Amino acid sequence: MPSQPDKSALSDADLARAAQNGDMGAFEELVARHRDQIYARAYSMVRNEEEALDLSQEAWVKGWQRLAQFQGEASFATWMTRIVINLCVDQLRKQKRQRAESFEVLEGESGGVERLMPATMPNPAAGLERTELRRRIDRALDQLSAEHRMVLVLHEFEGLEYKEIAGRMGCSIGTVMSRLFYARRRMASLLAGLKRENEE
Amino acid sequence: MNDNLDVNLEKLELELQAWLDGELSAAKARRLDPKIVGDEGASRLITELQAIKSALAGNETARTVPETRAFYWSKIERQIQRQTPGPRAVQAPRQAVWRRWLEPLAGFAALACLLLLAVKPHAPPTFDEISSTGQGMEAVTFHDQSGGMTVVWLTDTAPAQLIESPDAKTPEPGDSEVEVE
Repeated sequence: MPSQPDKSALSDADLARAAQNGDMGAFEELVARHRDQIYARAYSMVRNEEEALDLSQEAWVKGWQRLAQFQGEASFATWMTRIVINLCVDQLRKQKRQRAESFEVLEGESGGVERLMPATMPNPAAGLERTELRRRIDRALDQLSAEHRMVLVLHEFEGLEYKEIAGRMGCSIGTVMSRLFYARRRMASLLAGLKRENEE
Repeated sequence: MNDNLDVNLEKLELELQAWLDGELSAAKARRLDPKIVGDEGASRLITELQAIKSALAGNETARTVPETRAFYWSKIERQIQRQTPGPRAVQAPRQAVWRRWLEPLAGFAALACLLLLAVKPHAPPTFDEISSTGQGMEAVTFHDQSGGMTVVWLTDTAPAQLIESPDAKTPEPGDSEVEVE
């Protein structure tokens, strides 16, 4: 019986090609390589472990189903990240439909009190260790509304342009700009608050 | 009046942000440059937005899937097997689609024919008739399928002078009958 080639030695592109030919073992190797990244992206958007797990797994299933569409223009990880982002945005839409008009929604669209604050904050990240900074950013992200967090994550972590974010989220570029502005100001306020809490 | 001021301020803030993100056209960015340098409020806002942008860059918390590789994959694999035939599943050609419907129909039709034959007891028996002629003899065979019986009718057509034995009876036409079951 011929021995199976060591899949861990193959490149993503080779594994993707093998998976496109129906090799599930190759696809499993791709999942093993990128599962943390895909899960982390889902988590950063929905901020819930169970939901992020479900969405990331759903993304892999969709990835398998749409493998024929993967042409290798972007890396496999980027391609998969786009799939999980779309699922997260869809999830947000569903939740928004289910939610009654709430204060959070109204505030989410118009911006909270931070929107009107004068920009006088010193750099809230100054003097912080990288680990501590990451921890604070993570805590601050938890406190943003889903709409603001998603725009911020897509722009700052995924590096998407306004137009692309608007397309993915199904809103206008103006809304993206407004949400991003509010999200940044809120982050500045939250990080400064966390910094003050720490100093006291 | 105040509403207009708010709208203008908001527009300016968003434009400053777009300037920072490199989302403005070169012409628009040039128009904003003096504002950023000369306006203290605009300058402070740009500084704050830039600080947040820099703080976030590369500082996303790394996360790992809180499940083992095998368990995580098993759930994906199960879903794939439940939902999809495979990534290269091609659309069935039109002929195959027709065949999918026609094959069961043909089966039903065949079954119906058999049932019709079975429930038709008074149908006239069918006979297969074979007639052969040889020199001096004619044989006619009937096969009754419903009766499971074959009848062979032998007729001597030879002239009488061909009979060599004087003892032999001259068979009359239609004398000989052999029944085979």
